[in-house]
Amino acid sequence: MNTRTITATPRSAAGLPLGALAAGLGFGCVALVPLLVDDPFLIHSLIMVLFFAYMASSWNFLCGYVGQLSLGHAMFSGVGGYVSVLMFTQLGLSPWIGMLFGGLLAAGLSVLIGYPTFRLKGPYFTLTTIAFAEIVRIWVENTNDFIGVPLKGAEGLVVPAAGDSLWAFQFSSKTPYFYIILAMLALVMLATRLMERSKLGYCLKAVRGDRDAAEALGINPTPSTLAALAISAFMTALGGSFYAQFFRYINPERNMGLELSIDMAVMTIIGGQGTVAGPLLGALILTPISEMARSHLGGGLPGLHLVVYGLVLMACVLYFPKGAIAPLGRLAKRLTDRRGSRP
Amino acid sequence: MDPLILSFAVVNGVLLGGIYGGVALGLSLIFGVLRVVNFAHGSFLMLSLYIAFWCWSLLGLDPYLSVFVTVPAMFGLGYFVQSVIISPLIRRERALVVEPLSALLLTAGVFLVLDNLALMAFGPNVRAVQVDYYLPSPMLGPIPLNPQRLIGALAAVLVALGLSWWLRHSHMGRAIRATAQNRDAAALSGINVPFVYAVTFGIGCAVLGLFGSLIAPFMPISPSIGVAFGIKSFIVVVLGGLGSIPGCIVGGMVIGVFEAVASQHITATSAAIGSLGLFILILLVRPQGIMGRA
Repeated sequence: MNTRTITATPRSAAGLPLGALAAGLGFGCVALVPLLVDDPFLIHSLIMVLFFAYMASSWNFLCGYVGQLSLGHAMFSGVGGYVSVLMFTQLGLSPWIGMLFGGLLAAGLSVLIGYPTFRLKGPYFTLTTIAFAEIVRIWVENTNDFIGVPLKGAEGLVVPAAGDSLWAFQFSSKTPYFYIILAMLALVMLATRLMERSKLGYCLKAVRGDRDAAEALGINPTPSTLAALAISAFMTALGGSFYAQFFRYINPERNMGLELSIDMAVMTIIGGQGTVAGPLLGALILTPISEMARSHLGGGLPGLHLVVYGLVLMACVLYFPKGAIAPLGRLAKRLTDRRGSRP
Repeated sequence: MDPLILSFAVVNGVLLGGIYGGVALGLSLIFGVLRVVNFAHGSFLMLSLYIAFWCWSLLGLDPYLSVFVTVPAMFGLGYFVQSVIISPLIRRERALVVEPLSALLLTAGVFLVLDNLALMAFGPNVRAVQVDYYLPSPMLGPIPLNPQRLIGALAAVLVALGLSWWLRHSHMGRAIRATAQNRDAAALSGINVPFVYAVTFGIGCAVLGLFGSLIAPFMPISPSIGVAFGIKSFIVVVLGGLGSIPGCIVGGMVIGVFEAVASQHITATSAAIGSLGLFILILLVRPQGIMGRA
């Protein structure tokens, strides 16, 4: 018999799914890097790759699976960053706790915004998400003091130094940040993987395929999209808190501007929307370009990396509409098929 | 509130809003015909502002005369972008309508490339055209009118009227409207659809070229000005109804008056937030806009 069931996952000799094995091996190898090399620049660049992979994965958790393009996710990152920093400076609360509050606030905000906007289709939805995020950014940029809370407007907030302290989420070396963001990325990818095979994932994919048909089959798209949105916003906000702690500085433009939203969306789309590994692949392709442009060309050519982003995005939409992961996936499938058919 | 100040704000708002409407015309036309949301709309305006600026600064050409450079240049650029970059996508999509999100992503790529090329080439500095003559300010009763804004607003109304008339009565205009209604039926009737699309995109950009020249005399020019005008154009077009040409001018004037009057009472920040809020409200409550067909 030559038939294969579609759902069968290729398994290794030990019975583990091959994908999980590869992911475990990959993360294990990356985790060894700080032990083998002692180059702060390399570690910094890796942290940025992992950070953007994390942010793009959080974006993908909703947008990649439900097929709507949000360009407002930076708002959630901003909420997370501002809440954790303000709770630390104003209340003396550990950023680890503050970031959870930021995540919950972002999730609540996302449901309030998402409930009316998810009815909108295609570009209308995208434009609305931009408008919401711009409202929040413009408001923060022009508010110095909100009911006694010093937001400091466009100037941004500095996280006061607290020495090498796990409690204050501050480390003198970059290595702890590296392991934190690596763990965060592993968690979000695991969450995406679990969601993909859960009822939620199937509902989202049905809504992406054909919303009307999904509703005719008795799927109410609202609860599932809102649940995915809340989780996505929560994870994005945690990323925003990480960013604030890593740079010890946030401002409205960098932490909640349109550019960050575009970064998250473009990396996912280039890597492959609606896949677990796509956002990571996109971040691996694009982040080194921007880091190189920033470090090697200095401030001499600002915007160069965004020109490259634009060109790669256009090429992807035209030639790889499913993202760079699609040709890689075909290659992997051919390899496993050949192995499987061997007697 | 002093009625004179209020009427001054309203008149100014109408003039500025007319210009907003004129700038947004191309976005509305391109969406109406191609169903493509052109994310790079503001970037094309930014480019035409720079062309007008360099014509003035290098060649000493008056900004109003640089129309003869910007309009053909932007028509050519629009024709090129449509026929080289967007057309392969339309050819690939077999359905009647291009998948709006792919097209939006593609034009977002154009936006990233154009805006950041401008940033690399010209730097972040703000430039301004300074003409060495003064236009007299005509008076509307007791209210002086800003002559440059008056020219811009009149041009917007004239272009909107001319465009509507041309779409209704010329051979090409009929072909464009037929293509907008049904691409495949138009192709079956012998209309060269790719050519119509490229010409429509070119005209949309040529209108931006015109307004680039007309607002260059009083607009500070920087690479990021495209984003500001792009977002404003989306607001205007959604307010007036995507695809409606008269709606565009009306929507522009509503936003212009709203901002001018609101900024008398509240801060400019709150006015900007208010117009974004208005945009969201319109999309949620009346997505076809003021003048659009449902």
